[in-house]
Amino acid sequence: MSKPSDLIQGTLDLLILRTLSLEPMHGWAVARRIQQVSEEVLQVTQGALYPALHRLEQQGWLRAEWRDTETGREAKFYALTKAGRVQLEKELAQWERLSHAVGLVIRTV
Amino acid sequence: MRSGVLERELDKELRFHLDAETAANLRSGLPPAEAHLAAIRRLGGVAQIQEECRDMRRTDYFENFVRDLRYAARNLARIPGFAVVIVLTLALSIGANSAIFSVIDGVLLRPLPYPQADRIVRIFFSSRQYPKFALNPLDVRDFRERNRSFASLAAITRNDRQLSGEGRPERLSGFSVTAGYFRVLGISPARGRDFTTGDELPGRGKQAILSDRVWRSRFGADPNVVGRKIVLDAEPFTIVGVMPPGVKHPGNEYHAVTDGETVDVWTPFTYSADLTSRGSHYMEGIARLKDGVTLAQAQADMDMQVSQLGREHPDNIKGWQPLLVPLYQELVGPSRRLLLVLLGAVGLVLLIACANAANLLLARATARQREIAVRAALGAARSRLVRQMLAESLLISLLGGCLGIGIAVEGVRVLASLLPPDFPRAHDIHVNFAVLAFTFGIALVTGLLFGLAPALQAARTDLQQTLRESSRSSTASGRRLWLRNALVIGEVSLACVLLIGAGLMLRSFVNMLRSEPGFRPQHVLTASVALPAAKYKTKASLMEFYDRLNAQLKSLPGMRSAGSGSDLPWTGWDDNLGGFTIQGKDPATNDEHNARYHVASEDFFQTLGIPLVRGRWFTLHDNKDAPQVIIINRVAARLYWGSDDAAVGGRITFNDHPKESDWITVVGVVGDVKDHPNRATAEPGIWWPLLQEPFGFPTMSVAVRGEESAARVAEQVRSTVSSLDPDLAVADIRLMDEIAGASFSTPRFALFLVMLFAGLAVTLAAIGIYGVISYSVSQRTHEFGLRMALGAKPWHVVRQVMSQGVNLAFVGIAIGVASAMALGRVLSSLLYEVSARDPVTFTAVAVLALLVAAAACYVPARRATAADPMTALRSE
Repeated sequence: MSKPSDLIQGTLDLLILRTLSLEPMHGWAVARRIQQVSEEVLQVTQGALYPALHRLEQQGWLRAEWRDTETGREAKFYALTKAGRVQLEKELAQWERLSHAVGLVIRTV
Repeated sequence: MRSGVLERELDKELRFHLDAETAANLRSGLPPAEAHLAAIRRLGGVAQIQEECRDMRRTDYFENFVRDLRYAARNLARIPGFAVVIVLTLALSIGANSAIFSVIDGVLLRPLPYPQADRIVRIFFSSRQYPKFALNPLDVRDFRERNRSFASLAAITRNDRQLSGEGRPERLSGFSVTAGYFRVLGISPARGRDFTTGDELPGRGKQAILSDRVWRSRFGADPNVVGRKIVLDAEPFTIVGVMPPGVKHPGNEYHAVTDGETVDVWTPFTYSADLTSRGSHYMEGIARLKDGVTLAQAQADMDMQVSQLGREHPDNIKGWQPLLVPLYQELVGPSRRLLLVLLGAVGLVLLIACANAANLLLARATARQREIAVRAALGAARSRLVRQMLAESLLISLLGGCLGIGIAVEGVRVLASLLPPDFPRAHDIHVNFAVLAFTFGIALVTGLLFGLAPALQAARTDLQQTLRESSRSSTASGRRLWLRNALVIGEVSLACVLLIGAGLMLRSFVNMLRSEPGFRPQHVLTASVALPAAKYKTKASLMEFYDRLNAQLKSLPGMRSAGSGSDLPWTGWDDNLGGFTIQGKDPATNDEHNARYHVASEDFFQTLGIPLVRGRWFTLHDNKDAPQVIIINRVAARLYWGSDDAAVGGRITFNDHPKESDWITVVGVVGDVKDHPNRATAEPGIWWPLLQEPFGFPTMSVAVRGEESAARVAEQVRSTVSSLDPDLAVADIRLMDEIAGASFSTPRFALFLVMLFAGLAVTLAAIGIYGVISYSVSQRTHEFGLRMALGAKPWHVVRQVMSQGVNLAFVGIAIGVASAMALGRVLSSLLYEVSARDPVTFTAVAVLALLVAAAACYVPARRATAADPMTALRSE
């Protein structure tokens, strides 16, 4: 089980924001999506996921609402707010810069 | 409630996650039971997630805080003993410290009540023999005319005035001042005008400026009072001004009036035509430095001027140096050491209180280690645990602080009322809120620091080990125990220092009370009568008045004796007379022959109970026509004649070329009366008989020893004076006992405060020892139960527990005694006939401290044995 600290600091926020930029979804779906898309490499524990979701909501980047799922159960769906989109752009740019830099170092040395 | 909804939603969200996970597991082909278990495993600690999610919601902080406080309050309520002790510890230290600090602030630290008060200096003459001496009025005038360094220079001399013709005669405390006095202080009259140099001319000085108090109390706050004629000392005066309220007298040395709002009338000092002698010194100089002139520059300038004056008047100025002293230093100087010692005591008590609070909090943390470990194991976030401990410390500090504020406010009131009446600037004392905030802050920081440190430590410790250890451990873990022992040792040693200080002051106070005052103050009533110069123009008329007064008082029924004299013992009489010649001694040593001079009627000594050692008393035959005689005290007799016997019959003169009639014969030697009870020796003194005195004192003290009640005797004195002259006021009616008592008031006050501190310190230290031992006992209940079960006698357990506390006390006492030895020098000037290393005090304190420590250990030691071995064994 991959611990949150294995992810580069702050990356979890980016993953969540990016995932939610496609469509609103609930916590389990977010974890599931990240796991699938990363081909099972990135496993987000609930212990990290929910506090992160709550924090992002608190910061105003996510908006939460209770809605029925297709199975008819009520679940808490998270969606990106406008501020969240701006934040996502920022974090993406940040990530690009970082990974580019790391790539340069790895290849040159 | 919002938080309830949030909690439920969080719960629901996590349950949904669990269900979704289970469903996914089912879809991937796991059997139902296993699918659910796998989901739970993946989810991890639900409580922990919930906790962290709560943490993410910053808006909850305040709510959490309130909840933490409530939780802390519940926790503290479960241990009321601990809570009360620690809250009281903090409250006492905050309250007592703020109160004392406010007194010190009011007296020592607050600026004087004059604009730019740091520019005001007192001007004295100074010689080898008299470090501070008053000025001569002609010198003052010369200084003023040649002044370069001062914006204004003035001098004042005590000149009480008798106000008559406005109801009952009253003696107003007053000063004759040269023009510019109020400019030195930086105060102008609220009505009317200030004095000018023109008012100093002979025949012009019949003007008066009134204090706000007298203007209100005697003149009904009449707005048109300026220009009104009043009668002072049986002479017409014109009111030219009224001062604003709150004008404070800056204090003076010679015939002193306490500083504060103590002066009611100011009149111009008159340079009369017959004022030609530079020999008599009775003016007290005061000046305001010019902008940009430093004290040193002004001093240098005055040095030059005085040496110039010395060349102009070689007979009078020779040997005098000018001395400039900042007003602040002059006012506060004598009380400074006392207040600093008190400040030190305050600091020590504060330290002890903080150590005590720290100790109790540490002990509590030790006791809670297991509880914290359990909660951490159950998923409580560390930050949350720390916050809860913090809330508890905060609650304790806040409670202590609020109680402390109450104690401070009340304490300042009580302290101010206990202050000796002549204490400088006593009227400036109020609760100082900055100080209160400061001590409050210290208490708060102590509480938080020692509440937080164990919390952080507990949150960091290895849970498993703690759980395992504390279930069977018999002593508190080493490091924390060491810290607590050190705190107890520190407390005991600080308390010892305070106790030794208090003990020394107590011994010196007892010595002072026991020392022979040299007179018998019991049943003696005293009063003061001043004869206005306008009505009593000649020396003879003054003498006649007092002579008749004495005779009439003596003839009253029930009156044993009555007399009048220039001054009463212990009232600060300081008239010095220099330069007499002793028959048969080399006149070249002229300067060395000095004594304080006094006047006494024939029954004055007997009335005050001052014993005759050799020779005879004055009689009514020692009058103008008889040869001149004096009585001297034993100090003078021994200093100038070698013995009491040799002095009687000895002769002195004040004339450089004496005729036979200029010689004055010593007819008696009386016992010594110290000028102040806390001085070790008396000054040499000379008494003239009332009917021969050369000075013509208009103001005399009257002393009567009667059989009736004080009130009745006072009335008799008043009616006798009024039957002789209805315009005269009788002032300062006091029992000699009161005067004697008042002389002890400053040392008594200091003693009271230091004893208070020492008591507080000992109590706190005892609480500290008690706390440590009793926690250690409660931690070791198991061990003690085991021992008792195995046959140990209760006495063994008691001895073991007590030796733990007493050993700590031993170390503390040793350190305390050593520190007190080192600090003794600071106290020595406040002590009277006690060495600062007095072995009796040191031993007594050590024994007392040990006994207190033993008593503090005894209670928990008994408790250790009281437990039934079976219960003790089960107590874990």
